[in-house]
Amino acid sequence: MGHMEKKLLVEDHIRRNKRLTIVVCTLMALLFVGVVFSLGFIFFRGNHLISLIFALPIAIGYVVITYSVSVQTVIAAAKARPANPRIREEKLLIYKVEEMAIAAGLPMPKVYVQESDSINAFATGKKPEEGIICVTSGALRKLKQDELEGVVAHEMSHIKNYDILLATISIAVVGAIALISEIVFWSILWGGAGRGGGRKGEGNAIALVLAIVFIILAPIFSRLVYLAISRKREYLADSSGAYLTRNPEGLAKALERINNDSIREKPEGSKTVAPLYISNPFRRESKGSIWATHPPIDERIRRLRSM
Amino acid sequence: MDPIWWVLIIVVILVVFFLLIYWGFYNKIIRMENRIDNSWAQIDVQLKRRADLIPNLMETVKGYMKHEREVLENVTKARSALMSAKTPQENIDADNMLTGALKSLFAVAENYPDLKANQNFLNLQDELTNTENKIAYSRQHFNDSVLAFNNTIETFPGLWFAKRMGRKAREMLQIPEASKELPKVKF
Repeated sequence: MGHMEKKLLVEDHIRRNKRLTIVVCTLMALLFVGVVFSLGFIFFRGNHLISLIFALPIAIGYVVITYSVSVQTVIAAAKARPANPRIREEKLLIYKVEEMAIAAGLPMPKVYVQESDSINAFATGKKPEEGIICVTSGALRKLKQDELEGVVAHEMSHIKNYDILLATISIAVVGAIALISEIVFWSILWGGAGRGGGRKGEGNAIALVLAIVFIILAPIFSRLVYLAISRKREYLADSSGAYLTRNPEGLAKALERINNDSIREKPEGSKTVAPLYISNPFRRESKGSIWATHPPIDERIRRLRSM
Repeated sequence: MDPIWWVLIIVVILVVFFLLIYWGFYNKIIRMENRIDNSWAQIDVQLKRRADLIPNLMETVKGYMKHEREVLENVTKARSALMSAKTPQENIDADNMLTGALKSLFAVAENYPDLKANQNFLNLQDELTNTENKIAYSRQHFNDSVLAFNNTIETFPGLWFAKRMGRKAREMLQIPEASKELPKVKF
């Protein structure tokens, strides 16, 4: 494919990506409102004002706190440390990040290293000015320079496309919905809630059941929405990363190396960081599953090679 | 209501609509121009950085490469061409010359095991590769920025606003095929 076509392809992707961001935010907001209204039905006999007063502060407080400590949480869970320019491998990583920041026209992100024999990397931060790129020490040892460049370009694209922000917010909102759902679930188990609604007649009883079902399913929906978007964004970061380096083969080879790597050890704090990693450390997920955080690696390599 | 009022309202809405679009395009075009200027400044910074590293490198290799006068002279010559370059294209040409000269210097260095073991030399080699790549990527970003700008002001409706603002398409940097291939220092 020619140079111009590639450019159009990436920009098309970015445009679609922006639309998807709006869709996902709307879906999340709708789920959130739905959860709050169901709460009103279950606890306050349809008095939404009281349920708003009750649920909003909890939910918003949760989102705000999760959001504001997210970066520290991720870095702490991964036990990552700032890259040391005195060690040659890490110095070369810092150089690669500098180069990719210039290619993307972004400010220089902070560079971290996570001790782990597996090959992986992630980006975090709330906005491009506060971006962080973290690479495992295994990746530094095993990847060639052009492969490392592909990986760094992929992470830089996550920063450029605001994926890091969307991931941070989504994780917070998914968590908030799960929290409310859990509170409701346990209240119902204890038998305190819901009795009041029944007195208003059959229509309300059905609505009550629907509200309870909805509130139990909401966390699952929100997680699915988030995962779907996460997979799309991996493809996008692959293609815009390739656009930065003008060398899709670098990342393709890196992904191949990850796929063939004999080390199956999971990096520290994998569960927290999993959706952020360049490849999912949990390999048991079946290919193409709706529960996967990442698209299948073979498919990603195939798409990179067809650019 | 009098039909004249309807006409007036529609005219006002159209004018406001037009002004909003003009506002949007004005800001967009200015932002894009700033991005181009900024990415040019970035190239300049990297070129200077590279020129500053050369004397250090010469000082380090001098003791080892006594019989490679021509190789060393080429590097020095290219550096002074870079220092005295004025136009962007002169800059780029001098830089390409320097890239070639350094390439042969590093190739020759392979024959000097003592030099290759010198920590200072290794560090300079890494750093020169880094600035080399940064120059290549800042040129790429410059050209990307120019392309985005040109696309905006050469297609409708940006075309129309750009004319009113007196803006013309910018020129991209010509990068010779050979220099696209970055000198890969062996690791």
